Amino acid sequence: MHVAPIPAVFVFATQLTHLAPVDLAILIIYFAMVIFIGFYVKGSTNTSEEFFLAGREMSAWIAGLSFVSANLGSLELMGWAGAAYQYGILATHWYWIGAIPAMLFLGIVMMPFYYISKTHSVPGYLQLRFGEGARALSGVSFAFMTVLMSGVNMYSMALVMKVVLGWNINFSMWVGAITVAIYVMLGGLRSAIINEVLQFVLIWAGAALIPILGLIEAGGWTNLKAQIVTRMADPSYIHLWSTTGSFDSNPMGIHWTGLVFGLGFVISFGYWTTDFLVVQRVLSANNLRAARLAPIIGSAFKMFVPFFVILPGLLALVLLKDSAGHLIQLYPDGSDMVVNHGMHSFNEVLPLMMVRYLGPGLLGLGITALIAGFMSGMAGNVSAFSTVWTYDIYGAYINKKASDSHYVSMGRWSTIVGMAVSVGTAYLVMGAASIMDYVQELFSFFIAPLFGTVILGMLWKRASKAGGFWGLLCGTASSIAMWAMVYHNKANIRFMILQPHASADTIMRVQAMAANLYRALWSWCVCVIVTIVVSYMTKATPEAQLTGLVYGSTVIPHDGSRNIYEKPIFWAVVIATVLFILNLWLW
Amino acid sequence: MSTPHVDPSTEKSLSIWFFVGVLILSCGLIIFCQGIYEFSHPGTTVLAELHPAFWWGMLMVLFGGFYTINFRPRKG
Repeated sequence: MHVAPIPAVFVFATQLTHLAPVDLAILIIYFAMVIFIGFYVKGSTNTSEEFFLAGREMSAWIAGLSFVSANLGSLELMGWAGAAYQYGILATHWYWIGAIPAMLFLGIVMMPFYYISKTHSVPGYLQLRFGEGARALSGVSFAFMTVLMSGVNMYSMALVMKVVLGWNINFSMWVGAITVAIYVMLGGLRSAIINEVLQFVLIWAGAALIPILGLIEAGGWTNLKAQIVTRMADPSYIHLWSTTGSFDSNPMGIHWTGLVFGLGFVISFGYWTTDFLVVQRVLSANNLRAARLAPIIGSAFKMFVPFFVILPGLLALVLLKDSAGHLIQLYPDGSDMVVNHGMHSFNEVLPLMMVRYLGPGLLGLGITALIAGFMSGMAGNVSAFSTVWTYDIYGAYINKKASDSHYVSMGRWSTIVGMAVSVGTAYLVMGAASIMDYVQELFSFFIAPLFGTVILGMLWKRASKAGGFWGLLCGTASSIAMWAMVYHNKANIRFMILQPHASADTIMRVQAMAANLYRALWSWCVCVIVTIVVSYMTKATPEAQLTGLVYGSTVIPHDGSRNIYEKPIFWAVVIATVLFILNLWLW
Repeated sequence: MSTPHVDPSTEKSLSIWFFVGVLILSCGLIIFCQGIYEFSHPGTTVLAELHPAFWWGMLMVLFGGFYTINFRPRKG
């Protein structure tokens, strides 16, 4: 997710390991296949619909796996494994309440509108519902952010390869960039989706062995929990909810209201239902039922991602030992112990656990999975950028009447240009690492207000064009203002968490990611309130123009389900029930 | 922008699942062979005595083989 706690720099102490010939063979097979797929699908990406939306021919399973895979980048895997080491099982919330309800909501409530409107992008939906102003604002900001994020991914991959394997940064960046540029330019979204499915399978194959071997070494889950409590002298590391009654009683400095309303509602719904990077994957589905099922299938897999992300972080708390058998203590990135004393950082948890358990061959698989994750992150960003640039900026404002083949050509060229800008961003980040933090903050400025605008647009007929535009603008501005307020003085967090008299200790305990939840919540509220007020002050959109866009003005066609097992709602209820049981189990 | 009708004849015959099968089968074979080699040259990683490369490689070969055969391109 966009809120992954990735620091400015991955400062790894020394090169952790090296690859054996069998590891290199696996890596080469992966690269060869990725390039082959690009050339192979080029022949079937001749029209804009084929290039930008994979011809809308994907089955529910492929669209669903691609949907969840687009979010399963290596930066996120390493960051959240580190967060689990730092904060314990609380990090699981970002995978469960911070993802599953929103994915189910997308499938059941929102997908019909995206799909029926035949929009090609989220900014495209905003144009249909709220006009050009809202589209321009969201399209330009999205294109800008995605291309920057691609650069951040690229630099992170190169840095991880340097510190884990000792590879040259320039070599890693250029090999990654050229490979991704080739297969996205040739095959568009279709190529990106195929590679995302491959990456998904690779990550499961490469990472699932670590928690399995870890649990064997720890003597099972019950023994692991007991060892964590003994080592940390703090039971909050193994509880999901019972320690979130106050900001002071858990290592993250988080309160359940922030988790439920900030993370579970605003941030999660904003990301999973309005970020075009992931929504684009579902739009490629071949019919309405597949489009509704895809996020639900994705959510089922998402629910088990903590098994190979969070669990390794928890295992490392009690199993990560040096050659003398002493527990290794990890430290925050950029801290004195990491920078000046050569100690390992939180974000090294996953590579350290890989090196601990995976020998030749398996290590190659794990490293290939990481590289695949980075590359598919870049490909996701660049393919989404290419679509939004071509449809919502170039096709909307620069050249409205070109032929379809011209737009496909523009899509291919914008992929190259987007990748070139990403390379530039990567070098910029290399020069000033703190840029990475700012780029990641950018996403949080836009995503929560955008959710407010889209959800009101879909569910409230009275929302007017002016209301949508001003709500989005004011929500975004308020998010930036709150960020600047806390950046200027961290003590200002007390206003965001509604604790104006909070002690200095409480303010210190509230981590940035906890504060972000409240920033998102308030910026969403600003967006919604401004949209409602301005809508009542301005002229309503005629009902005839809302057909296919808004609940109450749209007849949702039957999705073709014949029995209960084919109905998306049935599977959504099953997954929601399993999620509820898992939360109770780890309460 | 117009979005013309998609011509199904442009569809290629190789399934995504075939690619998945081939990739996992190839990687699995390499890891499986490494696992066999490690019976005579034990690895140095933690729990290497459980021969994870052998067993994991075998699982991948079975999974990848199933998908490769099941989704292989067929004539007609």
